[in-house]
Amino acid sequence: MDALRLEGLGKRYGRKPILENVSLAVRPGEVYALAGPNGSGKTTLIRLVTGLAFPTAGRALLLGEDVHQNPQARRHLGAVVEAPAAFYPYLTGRENLRMQAYLAGIKDEGRISEVLARLRLLAVADQKVGSYSLGQRQRLGLAAAILHHPKVLVLDEPTSGLDPEGVELVHGLLEELAQEGVAVLLSTHHLQEVSRYAHKVGILGGGRLLDEVRLEGREIFRLEAEPLEGALALLRTLPGITHPHLQGKVILFEGNPEEALRVLLREGYRVKALHPQGFDLMAYYQERVKHV
Amino acid sequence: MFRLVIFELFKLFRLRSVGLGLLAAFLLPFLWALAPGLKEVYGLVLASGWQVVSLSLLAGMEFLFPFLVVMAASESLGSEISQGTLKSLLLRPLPRTALLLAKLLAVLLYPFALLGASFLGSLLAGLPHGLGGFYGGTGLGQGGFAGAGFLSAQQALGELLHAHLLAGVVLLPLAALALLYATIFLSTTASALAAVATLLLMRLLVAFPALTPFLLTTYLDLHLRPQAAGLGLPLLFIYTLGFAFLAALVFERKDL
Repeated sequence: MDALRLEGLGKRYGRKPILENVSLAVRPGEVYALAGPNGSGKTTLIRLVTGLAFPTAGRALLLGEDVHQNPQARRHLGAVVEAPAAFYPYLTGRENLRMQAYLAGIKDEGRISEVLARLRLLAVADQKVGSYSLGQRQRLGLAAAILHHPKVLVLDEPTSGLDPEGVELVHGLLEELAQEGVAVLLSTHHLQEVSRYAHKVGILGGGRLLDEVRLEGREIFRLEAEPLEGALALLRTLPGITHPHLQGKVILFEGNPEEALRVLLREGYRVKALHPQGFDLMAYYQERVKHV
Repeated sequence: MFRLVIFELFKLFRLRSVGLGLLAAFLLPFLWALAPGLKEVYGLVLASGWQVVSLSLLAGMEFLFPFLVVMAASESLGSEISQGTLKSLLLRPLPRTALLLAKLLAVLLYPFALLGASFLGSLLAGLPHGLGGFYGGTGLGQGGFAGAGFLSAQQALGELLHAHLLAGVVLLPLAALALLYATIFLSTTASALAAVATLLLMRLLVAFPALTPFLLTTYLDLHLRPQAAGLGLPLLFIYTLGFAFLAALVFERKDL
């Protein structure tokens, strides 16, 4: 079963559509990164997924339970929906977590210290949150989100406001959690950072899910051939080749490079170079959102 | 649920408007006890400390206490929205109605805390005038402040407690109304202004005599007219429950 499943999710304010027909699924242990320009609907989508806002179409399921019909579905959910995360400033970090633990039905005080240690916040745990830096509040937000061992983690810009060490800490933690079986949905502008461990990237633009890029086990080949347009058109006809597209003056594609080379040479194309290349998510993203 | 209400009460008493309100309610009686124009305004020459207590209640219920209650109820939700903490609460597997109910119970207790602070401050401010029996009245019973002969300390205390209790009940629907507006506008200021505007509008509706018995504002001085409690109290409870129900209904499907 999918840990998180969105089915035709849509949101309108009056006649203005903010999100339209967004469907996606995140399996346990999978990291799904949402990318998109400002105003593309990422935050609205996060609010819908977490049950803070209500969709005008479709539904959001957490481990098969509709989050808008059944508040109990959120027992599986850990989330940070604001950057920096919000806490009661007159309580200490530990007290804030204690309150969250109570609401989540956790009685184990040791778990609070455990998550504080995991986010390197023990030194400031007994200081009032009002005195925390933005980065510390952001890390405390993540600590609160993982407090009750959620099966689904939804994070809006989890590294926003963090220093490079904090960014590394958060990415490391998310990677670890995914390995433990937690499904992670996060929105981000830092594609290069998340592409290290994310399994899928959803590209939002104009309120629609424009593309879903699978990063796991992906091998991309870079081809320099002449004439370029003709070679691209030819590759598009080959069954063993997927996602051929232009990037500048080269063609990037996935699939069988031997087959591509054989056919290109047979058809008289001049192949100047063909070699494997890591998937350049940023370039792909920029290409996809260019015309939105 | 009990712990949720306790938590909401804890948060309520951390609010700025609540802290200032309680301080004002406690300190203002000291001011009233020294006010030089009491005779001109209330026809009162202080003869007993009990009169300071009733004077504080009368003065407070004119506008200050209703306003403070409306502010506190508005801020109880509005501050969570401006701080962003409401979202953190709603991310937990907690029914929205339960959260709103806990907030409602907390803000419904606040009028009594406010009146309690005023009562306590008034007793202290009235001490120099004595808290024994006296010839005169509390301003709440027969004969007003002039009274109808000797009033024992016990009778005075009884009258004042009864009046404070009624005043507390009068303030309940105002708290519920402000909370309803807070769920609609998700803002402290907008909610408080809307609640005050609603009360002002209701006051204007006295021009429709048929409506008058059913207006919330008709019973804002119930502590002075305990004989109207027969219709007034049920109506005040109905208003409170009605506003609370509407608030829950709005909040249940509100986008945050």
